Amino acid sequence: MLELKRALDAKGHCLLEMPSGTGKTTTLLSLIVAYMKAHPLDLTKLVYCSRTVPEIEKVMEELRKLMNYYEKEMGMEQNILGLALSSRKNLCIHPSVSKEREGKVVDGRCYSLTASFVRARHAADDAVPICEFYEGFDAHGKEFPLPPGVYNLDDLKEYGQTKRWCPYFLARHTITHANIVVYSYHYLLDPKIAEVVSKEISKSSVVVFDEAHNIDNVCIDSMSVKITKRLLDKCSNSITILETTISNMKENDSKRLEKEYKRLVEGLRDATIARETDMALVNPVLPSEILEEAVPGTIRTAEHFVAFLKRVVEYIKTRLRVQHVVQESPAGFLRDIHTKVCIDRKPLRFTAERLASLIRTLEISDLTDFSPLVTVSHFATLVSTYTKGFTIIIEPFEDRAPTVSNPILYFSCLDSSIAIKPVFNRFQTVVITSGTLSPLDMYPKILDFHPVIMTSFTMTLARPCILPMIVSKGNDQVAMSSRYETREDTAVIRNYGNLLVEVAAAVPDGIVCFFTSYLYLETIVSSWYDQGIIDQLQRHKLLFIETQDAAETSLALINYIKACDNGRGAVLLSVARGKVSEGIDFDHHLGRAVLMFGIPYVYTQSRILRARLEYLRDQFQIRENDFLTFDAMRHAAQCLGRCMRGKTDYGIMVLADKRFSRADKRSKLPKWIQEHLKDTNCNLSTEECVQICKRWLRQMAQPFSREDQLGISLLTLEQLQSEEMQKKIQQRAQGV
Amino acid sequence: MDDYQTCPKCKTTKYRNPAMVLMVNACGHALCESCVELLFAKGSGACPECKCPLRRNNFRVQLFEDPAVDKEVDIRKRILKEFNKRQEDFPTLREYNDYLEEVETIIFNLVFDIDPAGTNKMIDNYKKENKDITQKNRNRQSQEEMELEELLEAEKAQQSEKANLYVNAELEEKKQKHKAREKLIDELMFSDADAKSIVASHVQATAALAKEQPKAAAQPSSGVVKSSKFSSGVQIGLRGQHTNSFLPIPKQEDLPLYRYTAPVFDYDGPPPPAIEKLGKLNYFANIRAANITERAGGYTEAMSCCRALQEALGGLFYSPQLTHKTAVLATNSSTQDTDDMETT
Repeated sequence: MLELKRALDAKGHCLLEMPSGTGKTTTLLSLIVAYMKAHPLDLTKLVYCSRTVPEIEKVMEELRKLMNYYEKEMGMEQNILGLALSSRKNLCIHPSVSKEREGKVVDGRCYSLTASFVRARHAADDAVPICEFYEGFDAHGKEFPLPPGVYNLDDLKEYGQTKRWCPYFLARHTITHANIVVYSYHYLLDPKIAEVVSKEISKSSVVVFDEAHNIDNVCIDSMSVKITKRLLDKCSNSITILETTISNMKENDSKRLEKEYKRLVEGLRDATIARETDMALVNPVLPSEILEEAVPGTIRTAEHFVAFLKRVVEYIKTRLRVQHVVQESPAGFLRDIHTKVCIDRKPLRFTAERLASLIRTLEISDLTDFSPLVTVSHFATLVSTYTKGFTIIIEPFEDRAPTVSNPILYFSCLDSSIAIKPVFNRFQTVVITSGTLSPLDMYPKILDFHPVIMTSFTMTLARPCILPMIVSKGNDQVAMSSRYETREDTAVIRNYGNLLVEVAAAVPDGIVCFFTSYLYLETIVSSWYDQGIIDQLQRHKLLFIETQDAAETSLALINYIKACDNGRGAVLLSVARGKVSEGIDFDHHLGRAVLMFGIPYVYTQSRILRARLEYLRDQFQIRENDFLTFDAMRHAAQCLGRCMRGKTDYGIMVLADKRFSRADKRSKLPKWIQEHLKDTNCNLSTEECVQICKRWLRQMAQPFSREDQLGISLLTLEQLQSEEMQKKIQQRAQGV
Repeated sequence: MDDYQTCPKCKTTKYRNPAMVLMVNACGHALCESCVELLFAKGSGACPECKCPLRRNNFRVQLFEDPAVDKEVDIRKRILKEFNKRQEDFPTLREYNDYLEEVETIIFNLVFDIDPAGTNKMIDNYKKENKDITQKNRNRQSQEEMELEELLEAEKAQQSEKANLYVNAELEEKKQKHKAREKLIDELMFSDADAKSIVASHVQATAALAKEQPKAAAQPSSGVVKSSKFSSGVQIGLRGQHTNSFLPIPKQEDLPLYRYTAPVFDYDGPPPPAIEKLGKLNYFANIRAANITERAGGYTEAMSCCRALQEALGGLFYSPQLTHKTAVLATNSSTQDTDDMETT
């Protein structure tokens, strides 16, 4: 809280690592809300970004508790409006549209019911369907702001139902004057969406990125484009549709095309762009000085533009017809496209903008078919806008199946700071926080910003409730490691198996194991079958395995939880970087032990990764090995952190690889884990590990009540106000 | 993927004859190579589809999936050779854009055979009017092209330079590590000294090496930074350096974890009051209070006050003429340092 307050005072950015389950969300919310109340002019808004819908709901729950407490203590209604925003899919209440499962389909159908021209047509002809909820909102909702309070997604829907207003547009509209907004990362980081949703958020806001350990990857994904052969074929289809629509329109209603043409000649920006419903199509970031310029003459008329698109698509098709891997820079690509099909850089830059304008003019209401073409137009715009920090890689086949031709063009962003830079520049304070951000000094480098505060917090605990250990060898003294050279070694696989079996025999309830990749998981499990280790394991606990299929995995998870709940005990084998390692908590009995088999390095042969490493080395002086280790250790820490979700929880963390005990790896673990990792526990054999586990579990199994924590990790009001405590706080605040 | 490509004349497909190559001519209709040889044995003939007279020499390999695009690109290249005005040739952007559109319309007309007579007339007119500009522009690269070329060259230079540097640095490092290890083993084998002390000295040596490393790594980066240029060749600032403002993180491998030991200060004077007591002793009365922005960074007025006091009191008892005994009497503290000073 102290550090956060300092960052707010200094109006700078900060980076905080706080162990999960120690009240990170509550701390952030309560301090920032209090700050907003105390300095209403300095700080007007809190934007809280989280990753998934359940996490957003959790934040809203905390906020509601906080507001109730304020009300109870102050005895009056609080004048604070907090709301959650999610996609149309989660907020739609239209009886038939909301039945759709896929987000894109919902967006498309919503657009076809609410676009301005559809509504204009409806005014002329009642048979054209529109959305009554949007109409309701449009007619009345804008004048009446949402009453203060805390609204999560369900509350918004309910409010929409009673008023017959569309909750999605209501929420979008309310963002501008709400005090607290909770939504997903993408609304800020993805330039295509941020432009639309978050444009009007003022500078004097605080932005919090929660669970931000993967923020650089989110940034990169939002700026990268992947083009496959199938996508291009679909593009050709949509171009034909465009052609026929244009020729139809020319015969029937040529006025509209002329109007569009005139507007483009004048170089005016789209007047309709302010219409909120028409924004299903948006363009990726363009420097504003270019946007002010007029669309170049080569693509001004509709037919010329369609021919232009055709050339672009055909050109990319020829590029995909390669026999070997090609890697080139955007500049090289631009030169090539100029010599091959005579396309200059400037019209290419306007592709996305021009396509959006054309689709709007043609009044095409079903946008779902056009998404491939939109992707290509984004690619064209990005490739001609950015010459640095990006690379183009064309792979004629996958590495694993070199005989099957499956050409893919990757336009990959190498610099995660490009997407996040506007956020840092725009807002006075950006807080990046997570349970596992170590090593902290890497983030300012790869995101290219200067934090004023950068701290890693530990937990104050009444008992040693985590037990991290590094197991480096089996009982037969063979070193355990997932190194490439020894990965197929039966001795290593057997040792891993024995470790798991012995730990499973000693530890009650649930055990979660993480492997480095799906491939590695599968090879190990198959040889465990041959060695009879699976049979031994099943004597103690049930076995569940994560697969690449999401449905299968969630089924396994449900049954795993069931087995843990009824006391049978279970083992879950999963993969670091997989679904389980990212979003799912194994608190209390669901995860009494986490085993990390090997160091989860990324697949280093991937060309995209290689290109990124090279870029990091050249641009930021980050060595390849340093980045790889950093990436591996943050994922390892993320996996380990799964089992600790609070101060009353306890769990064993076993790192089963010899290389973990090296200083460069160990020092990259979060501080709150490092603190408990004693030197004596750094080079254990399987047997020693099990002994330590048993002793520790006996200690942890003792009853643990609230009184035990009081005065150490939990303070009553009296204790907090005691002189001794006040002095301690004073001392900390003086910064001694 | 091209398996379904078919020659319209002999109906051969790429699937049946993988060696088949489709060719196109000015009219934009495709023919396979063998058909071309057969039909145009005389050197010229009519296109089997549109009956338009063609020369054999003008047949090219079809690049794109859609032969119409091939035709268009062909026409475009021809037209753009003539219509090569640049934005610099026009007073306003608007006129340039109008010109671009006109060019586009001409190409469009030629591709779809709309009003061929009128279009050709337009082209001829243009040719006559703008002879010298066209000639001049042919030898001149446009601004954009130049920019791209420059970028590409810079990239190339950077790549080769960096690749060499880093590869060498890494090799060197590996060699050194290997050497150090060998040396340690040799020493352990042959020397008579205590094994512990040998290992300790080895650890120290590697630590010293690791410290040197970052310096070495930082050097290449500064050498390669390339400043951008105006078109006239005038240098613009050193913007490139801005992105390189970070130092490389020091590499630490196989080192013991850092442990903090409190430093021992020797003031040579009366000990200054503790920082917590400054307020009680009323020292702050003489000092400017820290403002709110300074406090945010962790600065307090106590710091500067404490420092001023230390500076004022430090060294008061220091005197090179004094004998050893008096110094001891005066300070009542450990005098090892003053001892050393007297001897020097």
